[in-house]
Amino acid sequence: MVEEVKAGANAVLPAEPASGAQKPGSSAKEAEGAGKVSIGVLKEIEPRERRVAATPASVGRLVKMGLEVILESGAGASAGFEDAAYAEAGARVVPKAADVFREADVLTKVRPPGAHPETGEHEADQLRAGQKLISFLWPAQNKELVERLAKRNATVLAMDAVPRITRAQKLDALSAMANVNGYRAVIEAASHYGRLLGGQVTAAGRIKPAQVFIIGAGVAGLAAIGAARALGAMVKAFDTRPVVREQVTSMGAEFVPFEFQGETGEGQGGYAKEVSEAYLAAEQQLIAEHCRTSDIVITTALIPGKKAPELITSGAVVGMHRGSVIVDLAAEQGGNCALTERDRTVERYGVTIVGHTDLTSRMARQASELYAMTIVNLLDEIMGKKKTWELSLDDEIQRGMLVLLDGELKWPPPRPEIRGGAPAPAPKPPAHAHPKPEVPESPWPARIGTVLALGFLTPVGLFGSQELVQHLTVFLLACVVGWHLVWNVTPALHTPLMSVTNAISGIILIGGMLLAANGGGGGAPVAALLGAVAVLLASINVAGGFLVTQRMLRMFRK
Amino acid sequence: MRITLVNVAYLVASLLFVMSLRGLSAQQTARRGNLLGTLGMLLAVAVTLGAVVAPENNTLAAGPSDLGLLAAAIGAGAVIGAVLAARVAMTSMPELVAVLHSFVGAAAALVGIGSEMNGVRAGGAPDVAHHVEIHAGVFIGAITFTGSVIAFLKLRGTIGSKPLVLPVRHALNASMVFACIFLAVAAFRGGADVRVPYLLVSTGVASVLGAHLVLAIGGGDMPVVVSLLNSYSGWAASAAGFMLGNDLLIVTGALVGSSGAILSYIMCKAMNRSIWNVVFAGFGEQGGAVPAAKKGEPAKKVNETNIDGAADLLLGAKSVIVVPGYGMAVAQAQHAVKEITTLLERRGTKARYAIHPVAGRLPGHMNVLLAEANVSYEAVKEMEEINEDFEETDVVIVIGANDIVNPSALDEPESPIYGMPVLEVWKAGRVIMLKRGMAAGYAGVDNPLCYLDNTLMLFGDAKASVQKLLHALSAHAEQKAA
Repeated sequence: MVEEVKAGANAVLPAEPASGAQKPGSSAKEAEGAGKVSIGVLKEIEPRERRVAATPASVGRLVKMGLEVILESGAGASAGFEDAAYAEAGARVVPKAADVFREADVLTKVRPPGAHPETGEHEADQLRAGQKLISFLWPAQNKELVERLAKRNATVLAMDAVPRITRAQKLDALSAMANVNGYRAVIEAASHYGRLLGGQVTAAGRIKPAQVFIIGAGVAGLAAIGAARALGAMVKAFDTRPVVREQVTSMGAEFVPFEFQGETGEGQGGYAKEVSEAYLAAEQQLIAEHCRTSDIVITTALIPGKKAPELITSGAVVGMHRGSVIVDLAAEQGGNCALTERDRTVERYGVTIVGHTDLTSRMARQASELYAMTIVNLLDEIMGKKKTWELSLDDEIQRGMLVLLDGELKWPPPRPEIRGGAPAPAPKPPAHAHPKPEVPESPWPARIGTVLALGFLTPVGLFGSQELVQHLTVFLLACVVGWHLVWNVTPALHTPLMSVTNAISGIILIGGMLLAANGGGGGAPVAALLGAVAVLLASINVAGGFLVTQRMLRMFRK
Repeated sequence: MRITLVNVAYLVASLLFVMSLRGLSAQQTARRGNLLGTLGMLLAVAVTLGAVVAPENNTLAAGPSDLGLLAAAIGAGAVIGAVLAARVAMTSMPELVAVLHSFVGAAAALVGIGSEMNGVRAGGAPDVAHHVEIHAGVFIGAITFTGSVIAFLKLRGTIGSKPLVLPVRHALNASMVFACIFLAVAAFRGGADVRVPYLLVSTGVASVLGAHLVLAIGGGDMPVVVSLLNSYSGWAASAAGFMLGNDLLIVTGALVGSSGAILSYIMCKAMNRSIWNVVFAGFGEQGGAVPAAKKGEPAKKVNETNIDGAADLLLGAKSVIVVPGYGMAVAQAQHAVKEITTLLERRGTKARYAIHPVAGRLPGHMNVLLAEANVSYEAVKEMEEINEDFEETDVVIVIGANDIVNPSALDEPESPIYGMPVLEVWKAGRVIMLKRGMAAGYAGVDNPLCYLDNTLMLFGDAKASVQKLLHALSAHAEQKAA
């Protein structure tokens, strides 16, 4: 398995079956045996990382769910949570990380496992064989790390791979972090700006409101709009996806639209996608124009797993006035601004450019609270009522987050089918939209066809009359037509449909008429009478059916 | 009238029927669909009248008395039908549909018998194909007739909904089918004298078969039965078309037959069962076993609430989903329910309806009732659309529904309804279950939902409870306004 991973990129990964259907949950089931499942909480080793994967409140929730929590001493200190508070909530505080690695069934972390800055020991190597890990992982960028974890036969869920569907929102750690990030970006910008953001008229002179320009209206962008507006700034926001206009304006910002030969920037699952070079050039130009008139620019444009696009060229920075601030939230992936330096605040051409990647850590308390809750919600999804670690490969969320299953590479997950056709007009991810069912594969037509052909049509062909064959042709074709007509009926219309078909089947009226009339032409008188009775019954049916349908349909309203 | 002209008119009528069914597939076009169907039928009847009165070559000449008879029959039928359609309560829609199916079945059987009489009178040896057509047509017609009558009586409650499960019923059914085949063969061999009597005996046997088949099906499966009978009525018309050599009948019957078959199939899928299982399994046989087996356990406790408690819950909720079932239809509570949701919506509460595919006794039954109460069809969600939303819903009101909200369908493999997709109401914050008493649902299965901590039972007649609830809510609203 490991060799396969080494061999190269995604291309050689074994293709997954289209859904988990062929691999029922049983293969992933792992009863932990007797005793509680224990959740380990590690102290983050990255020096600038101040967040933690559990808070006393989340520990309380986990304990209530019937889980044991083992916490490394001092894990929450940098976020302002004392060991004592954790202990009070029910966690067992152990002195060293090694204790957590040794005793916990499931490890939780914020950052991807890494080498300890002092001892140099890599966290991934400390995992017990078959141990479970939940953290941010960025498997696309961290192939080596994934290999390392695979060697430990670990089962790994990536918090950054939560599918963007409605049901998964409560475990969407990325959105939770982005929200904090966007808020903090405005605060950072304000602290470097050196002026008030809100407009005022004072005795000492008039203060103009700051012009804030936000690039990328994802969760972080929208949070930034909200924070900047709350501080009194005038806010404009730019996004290549026209569908976010509504969200931008609802936050009180002006939307800066962008159109380029019909290409929109909306990719699968509501994320932005990569675009062509000419497109990028046009985009840079538009952004440069808006930067020129802005005091604060906050960029949040990220494409999942890719280098961030360079949207603010050095030329655009030159064009901005002195004292302006750029906060680049994409600094971790190369930055949206050409002059961003990672983890540093620099001044270029009189413009302060903030490239810190630890903005969420600067809000460690809030960020930890939110992250910890997404972890609780994830564990709740997996453990459910049964209190045992039971991954369900059929579950879109768990399958989407699964990177390694007992050391076997499971990432990327098989592409979810895009239900609902074109994803373009979907502010919500399209996966949620329910289309009408397609014609289900039914074995019936084939079976019926075979039986008819062999058992019935052959004798007809051998002994039947020309007329019979003609009638059969008509009959079978009509069956096919009827078969196709009804599949797409909405369930709400089943009753009207049934009463209409019922009225239509009153066509037997014609039969009755012919029979009744034939009586005059030499048929049996009784037959004519029977025909008349048939006509009577069928007419009730026809009139009743159509009229009652009419009555029903009149009631349906939008 | 030229026979080709008649046939062309028939062709147009068939196309109108096809377009009619097509129109019925979406709300926007449904009314036009119904209109097209009506037009098709009028055209067919008019042309047939023309052909009967003034045939091309006098083979069909009808005497004046026949024409009067025809007109009288059509007129009387139309009047009766119109009155029925205007009078029927929306809650009785299943009964109406069932009884109308029986008319088609009876008409088809009568046409078959009549044409056999004519055939005998005309003399000559019978043609094999024609003979088979007649017997098959009468067989299907008779089954449709008695089956629909039994379905009608069951839906009305005249006959109990419990399935009648005779010990040797499969053998009985099979022997009746063989008897009909035997009679058909015997009639063919026996000559002119026995043809009609044998056919009549065969009709009788088929009638018993139809009644027995439907008697063996439990009330919970009525939506499937009704749509199956709908399908049969189509096949019966088609069979009549074969015996009379009339393409319009063949085409129309086939359209109705196959559409009914698909509808039944869709229903069965919604219950996670096969057609065979519905028709032959005698649902309910195993049904009683589960609660009985658990009798040893201590009596489980339910949380009961009263009108005020329920009203408080609703007033405090941000989002509410109503799950209606057959109980709402029986109590005719849909108008009061609609008023409750309107009131809640006015207060800013998000109120929606969740419809299970087999709620009620007819496919789409709940939709029709809610439409009658003027509920916007956009507030009415299908199971797949809304199942994920229960988790984020504060209060769910279950009105006269039981099996379709039964959690054991998902987690109790011994349960007879195991595997049937259900509305997962228990995921909501609170469930208020309006119920007459602690009786099991149609499937005869105990419902663990009643015993859950977040379920509150509100006992009493559905309509009375809903109306009291409405009063309590509106009283509160007025208080606030004052």
